[in-house]
Amino acid sequence: MKPAVKIPGHKLLRTSDYACQYMTHDSPVHHLGAGWKIGICTLLSALAVGVRTPWELFALVAVTLIYYFAARLTPFDLWRDTRFFVFQAVIVICLYCIHSGLAKGIWPGIRTSVQVILFYIPGAVLLRTTRTGDMMRGLRRVVPYRVSFLVFVSIRFVPFFLRELDEIMTAQQLRGARLLPRQLLDPRNWGDLFHCLLLPLMVRAVKTAEEVSLSAEAREFGTREQRTYFEGVT
Amino acid sequence: MDSDILKIDRLSYSYPGASIPALMDVSCSIGAGECICLTGDSGCGKTTLLSAIKGLLRGGSYLKTIKIAVPPGVNNWSTPVGLVFQNSESQILCTTVSEEVAFGPENLCAPPEEIALRVQKSLRAVGLDGCETRHVERFSAGQKQRLTIASVMSMNPSLLLLDEPTSQLDSQGKQDLCELLAGFKSHGYTIIMAEHDPRPFTSIIDRYLPIADGRIGCSTSSLPESGRYEPRNAGKMRPVVVDDLPVIIDVQQLCLSYPETGTALNKVSLKVRQGERIHLSGSNGAGKSSLLRCLAGLETPGSGMVKLAGITNPRSEHLPGKVGVLFQNPSRQLFAESVHDEVAFTLRRMGFSRQKTERVVAEALSLCGISQLAERAPLTLSFGEQHRVALAAIVAPQPEVLLLDEPFAGLDFPQRLALLDILAEMPGRYGTTVVIASHDELPDHTWADRILKLNGGQLDETGR
Repeated sequence: MKPAVKIPGHKLLRTSDYACQYMTHDSPVHHLGAGWKIGICTLLSALAVGVRTPWELFALVAVTLIYYFAARLTPFDLWRDTRFFVFQAVIVICLYCIHSGLAKGIWPGIRTSVQVILFYIPGAVLLRTTRTGDMMRGLRRVVPYRVSFLVFVSIRFVPFFLRELDEIMTAQQLRGARLLPRQLLDPRNWGDLFHCLLLPLMVRAVKTAEEVSLSAEAREFGTREQRTYFEGVT
Repeated sequence: MDSDILKIDRLSYSYPGASIPALMDVSCSIGAGECICLTGDSGCGKTTLLSAIKGLLRGGSYLKTIKIAVPPGVNNWSTPVGLVFQNSESQILCTTVSEEVAFGPENLCAPPEEIALRVQKSLRAVGLDGCETRHVERFSAGQKQRLTIASVMSMNPSLLLLDEPTSQLDSQGKQDLCELLAGFKSHGYTIIMAEHDPRPFTSIIDRYLPIADGRIGCSTSSLPESGRYEPRNAGKMRPVVVDDLPVIIDVQQLCLSYPETGTALNKVSLKVRQGERIHLSGSNGAGKSSLLRCLAGLETPGSGMVKLAGITNPRSEHLPGKVGVLFQNPSRQLFAESVHDEVAFTLRRMGFSRQKTERVVAEALSLCGISQLAERAPLTLSFGEQHRVALAAIVAPQPEVLLLDEPFAGLDFPQRLALLDILAEMPGRYGTTVVIASHDELPDHTWADRILKLNGGQLDETGR
């Protein structure tokens, strides 16, 4: 089931978007070159690993959020990009509290979980604001274009496979497969996870990979040593 | 002939490990500017022939003579043959429209200023100019089909090949595509399309080349066996359902919206009685799949009520055995080691005894005409056979309601008729209510008791 969200004029709505997918906007971050964005991403992520004091953490949160919203991304996009880290944050804070007690464990728990989110957000901004071609152009001096294309075409197909996953899970549940989260808490149902969900998903993945490679080949991908890069329409 | 753009002489091809050739002694000539349609049933060799012309066949045994004449004036940044595949979803490789259209010319090393011109020209030709910066995920099926054509046209092909271009399109989409191809033809492009139902394109097709079992027949200027495509008007007739049977599907004031696409269902109300056969029609994006998902408990409506097989606002985990749903692509539903195990899966989960399971599986396999496949591995079967296995698996528990979402996609005309015949048996045998959601008209006009049309999220009854 897709997550529910309330918006004015509607009683209950669901999102049909996915995290970390390119968003077409006219923002200062979109106008930055891919090389610059990779540099900023590396710097902010490195700082996220290094911060120790509350003030350093607060300052880095502020800078990262300014960078995120400068890309004209919304708080809703931020929620989509980081929602899975909320679970991680809860688990990390609980573990610290169990290990060191509430008074001593709460700050290291919060710091570590925020650091993980801060490490990840600059990468999300890079993917949200940089087109495949720009990224390949930015990386062409360090990575062969055939390799970088493989990486970015994989990102392009993330929403496709999430939809496939949803469709397969739906079809199998209606046939009696035990795939609900509470059913999967029982190890006896883990067989269903593999047979009814992962196996058909792998079959679809192989089939789709074959279709994608044929499509690329039919459009002369890899037939020449080098390729040109179209700067695109902004 | 000097004006021939394509000449094939005694082409034969066998896929690796296959004992029967996919193509045998295929010979033909295509003149410049012609529009040719390859016709034939699923698996007859149409896609293989197009792949051979494009040079995409790998491995296998190959005897070929394919000559493609490159017209004068074609530069190094062009490709002689452009191929548009059947599934537009998996051939769009980039995130934005302009990137996607530029991908081919970039691979041909065309200079950026030349690519810019081609992107502009190709998008204008398919009516997508102004969409350059849009994200491809937001496009409808018809728009995606147009985008894939633009991304091939930007490589300036002399010969345009299209494999089942209408398989995902509704009637308006088919008409738009026909107008688009007519425009290309008037500009001198040579077009070869593979279609098992070429009726939407009869106005632009110059010749039909029938293919059967890998062999090509004599070309004709009129649609071969045109009668086979006519919807049947004298199928398995039966008395119309009487009004005193219980209501099995009761939908009241159902509303559903999505943030990005807006209203999907707007105050939909519907009553369906036990054993009724319903055709839920409507164009792409009309809300058919959303309604089916609400019925099957896979979507929580914004407001309104669904009562299905006695369960109010059902959830999917309550429905196995009571409601069967067949989704578009059967391979999503198949995982077992044999067809028998696939069909028996739900029955075992419902706690059927071994003897009863064996009896019911045999009955379902017989109903779907696949008893001979019982020991075969489902994933090694052809698309049409997999479709029948998936159907047998949901039919076996003898559900009270059967929901089918675009069940005709990828099936040829005889396979569609056979599917309808199987579904026609269900109400009489098990009292099952059958709902088919499809943008295509049914190949048998007598099949449905009622035709319901969804338009902009609202439901109208259009009779039978």
